[in-house]
Amino acid sequence: MPARVHDTRVIAREERAPGVMMVTIQAPALSAAVFPGQFVMAELPSGCAAAVALAIYDAYDDIVSLLFFITGPRTRELAALAAGDSLALLGPLGNGFDLRDAPADVAIAAGGVGIASVLLPARELVRRRSRVRLFYGARSAALLVERERFVQAGCEVTLATEDGSEGLRGYVTDALEASAPAKLLLACGPTPMLRAVAQIATRTRVPAQLCLEETFGCGVGGCWGCVVPVAATSPRAPRFPSNEAGISYARICREGPVFMAEELRW
Amino acid sequence: MVSAEDARDVDLSVRIGGLRLRYPTMMGSGCYGSGEEFARFADLARIGAIVLKSVTRLPRLGNPMPRIVHTPSGMLNAIGLQNPGIDWYLEHEIGKLAERPCAIIGSVAGFSVGEYVEVTQRLAERPEIDAIELNVSCPNVASEGETFACDSRATSEVVSAARAATRKPLIVKLSPNVTDITVIAREAESAGADALAVINTVRGMAIDVERARPRLGNVAGGLSGPAIRPIAVLAVYEAARAVRIPIIGQGGIASLSDALEFFLAGASAIGIGTANFTDPRVPERIVDGLAEHLAGQGARSISEIVGRANVGFADVHQYEGDAG
Ligand SMILES: Cc1cc2nc3c(=O)[nH]c(=O)nc-3n(C[C@H](O)[C@H](O)[C@H](O)COP(=O)(O)O)c2cc1C
Ligand code: FES
Repeated sequence: MPARVHDTRVIAREERAPGVMMVTIQAPALSAAVFPGQFVMAELPSGCAAAVALAIYDAYDDIVSLLFFITGPRTRELAALAAGDSLALLGPLGNGFDLRDAPADVAIAAGGVGIASVLLPARELVRRRSRVRLFYGARSAALLVERERFVQAGCEVTLATEDGSEGLRGYVTDALEASAPAKLLLACGPTPMLRAVAQIATRTRVPAQLCLEETFGCGVGGCWGCVVPVAATSPRAPRFPSNEAGISYARICREGPVFMAEELRW
Repeated sequence: MVSAEDARDVDLSVRIGGLRLRYPTMMGSGCYGSGEEFARFADLARIGAIVLKSVTRLPRLGNPMPRIVHTPSGMLNAIGLQNPGIDWYLEHEIGKLAERPCAIIGSVAGFSVGEYVEVTQRLAERPEIDAIELNVSCPNVASEGETFACDSRATSEVVSAARAATRKPLIVKLSPNVTDITVIAREAESAGADALAVINTVRGMAIDVERARPRLGNVAGGLSGPAIRPIAVLAVYEAARAVRIPIIGQGGIASLSDALEFFLAGASAIGIGTANFTDPRVPERIVDGLAEHLAGQGARSISEIVGRANVGFADVHQYEGDAG
């Protein structure tokens, strides 16, 4: 089903940790259409600024849930939504993870709010009988929201915190590196973390699919505000223009947000 | 109560040179791709025109990231005119435009008069293109970026040359980053422009205070959205008093009431850019709202309200006189 504007209603809103919000909405058509790794553009009730790109955390029955961090005035406005409020969502947008031939052993690395993009692929992989190991990192224990949900989904969960308040002390990539390489790596989180994941993937020769985060303008491919350098030979590169170094800029919202680690030239 | 029938009878069409638009709404250059990106969410048959993303003679990779920063009631962008260049554009992209159910306006950017002329001519000779907009006001490309729209001699030269290169309607897009917009507006008119697009983005900057670094990869960018609306309304008001050609007012239009401000200030048509990032249904809502509003006022066409708020400028001396 193609993306469109969905006029939805908020069912619940909950602060899962300081500054981490979960908004649950009733959106049957959206819920039925979504692929793991896709996102929506959420319209602000004030209409004063561009819509906010949010990962689709979960989708089941006629429900969609969004998990996000309050990072500024726009996400604060969304965080103020209450049960019963209406919310317009544009989506589902972007190309999600490619799970077509799910290998037997998959590792997923999530950093901070990156956890919001990996529940749907994790569940889909488990359904296809893959062993799924989740490596989940945050600054401190309180910010490791939703970990039980991944256990319930059938994942083996390893935690890491920067302050050592839970799990391994250090970055999620440290935990990933300390484990046996999987056959496929999925990752979502801040850019420095994704770069580190890409290096691990290269070193261990594991294909990696990275779900990138960026500040979006339109979210639908119309403004070229969300690009990432990719090899001009990549199937996701716009065929033109590329520079002498063979680099081209692809739109994260349209060609992504999921890219293969080896096609990125960042 | 306004009936749907009354609203349907209102004439919203406008003329830009020889081009007639069914609706007075144009999607701002650089904000709407080629229309394909938004066609899934918006009914293109219910907008007047799409202004395509600006094209240059040679391909441009554009600016480094980040290219967008959200600011109060608006956003800064510094895309840097990423585009495939005119050769590739004509060969691979322009053919797809034939199916659009609205007018298509090509936008031309450049770094010399020669480049503007070449791209204008090659774009305008294509049947898919109904009119040309000269982007002489992009704030996001290196030093020479805005020289054209900020210098009346340069504006005059580039507009005359482009005028000689095509007979299709020619729109000149002006920058708000000038001391007196009426000077440039008059130059563009006398050099042969059929219409003026007022305004392009307002130069701006944002700093990440934790990292003590500019937020945009290009350092400076162009501000758009509701934050610039009052600046745009005044620019339209002033330009409309200075020239007789139609003005396409734009800058922060997101609702019917915003659109009305621009028509009342003297715009014959409006541009909608950033509001599409809020909700792609905005242009259609504005068109519906305009028809209903005009019908409610007993007006038969949009032209009846153009410039209606024009009361000149307050005469300060009068008050000084009273005080003395
Ligand atoms: C992301 C973005 C890209 C833009 N690119 C162009 C461009 O390539 N050429 C141009 O003439 N104007 C460009 N503009 C300016 C818009 O067309 C419009 O004039 C301006 O944003 C003010 O209107 P708005 O507040 O409705 O967006 C761009 C604006 C934005 C936000
Ligand atoms: S956000 Fe506009 S192209 Fe991606």
